[in-house]
Amino acid sequence: MTTYRDTQLDALGDRTRRTILARLRRGPLPVGELANDFPISRPAISQHLKVLEKAKLVVARPVGNRRFYELNPEGFSALRDYFDEFWGVALISFKRRIEQLASEDKA
Amino acid sequence: MTTTADQDVFAPVQKSITVRASVQRAFDVFTSDFDSWWPRSHHIGKSPMKRAVIEGRAGGRCYTEQEDGTECPWGAVLDWDPPRRFVFAWMITHEWGYQPDLSKSSEVEVRFTDVGNGQTRVDLEHRHFERMGDGGATMRAGVGAPGGWGTLLGLFAERLEKDV
Repeated sequence: MTTYRDTQLDALGDRTRRTILARLRRGPLPVGELANDFPISRPAISQHLKVLEKAKLVVARPVGNRRFYELNPEGFSALRDYFDEFWGVALISFKRRIEQLASEDKA
Repeated sequence: MTTTADQDVFAPVQKSITVRASVQRAFDVFTSDFDSWWPRSHHIGKSPMKRAVIEGRAGGRCYTEQEDGTECPWGAVLDWDPPRRFVFAWMITHEWGYQPDLSKSSEVEVRFTDVGNGQTRVDLEHRHFERMGDGGATMRAGVGAPGGWGTLLGLFAERLEKDV
């Protein structure tokens, strides 16, 4: 079964696509300019972008008659949300331990 | 040009908490007494966790001991500046296994600041998710998977609420 998550894993399983993501970290680019950085054809880059777009890792935005590609925050934000919660839980646990030690000292 | 995506996607996760303890005390409990407070569900071992350890020195290991007798490394101390701050590498892959390559590890900085009235603010920053490369994005897929940390974390949060 192909799930949404599998689509993302597949999208990232390719070195060219990972390099495209790294390039787009510096800012949005049209296909033509992206293609200049790779030893493969522009249609091949377009194909990779389609895969990344389907996986919600990049998003296309029309500017005039060109399409600029940029990273899609939606596709990445869950990781940060997860660690935000993870560390929140850990720090509350830490605070409880400090308070427990303080009450032991008083006793 | 800095894009919204840049800021959102790879920005560090920052969390703070203020505790009623001196800077020295807070630092000591956080590090040498790590096992006493680290949530029991937070480990990457194959059997339940017995003990969680941060070795207090630059280059020190972060690991857990499991009930089946194995040790699970999950980090390394990069900077050791007691009692003000320390930094450790988060050496965990997107598949929740050990990542021996530091260049592919994110990192966590913890700072301890005296805020008066015998209290210390602990500021934690988890950063460099971009180093995880493809793993940075795929890790969240694992988190959401059945049996992933997301699930364990949910169970843990429920238990915490029951304790209150």
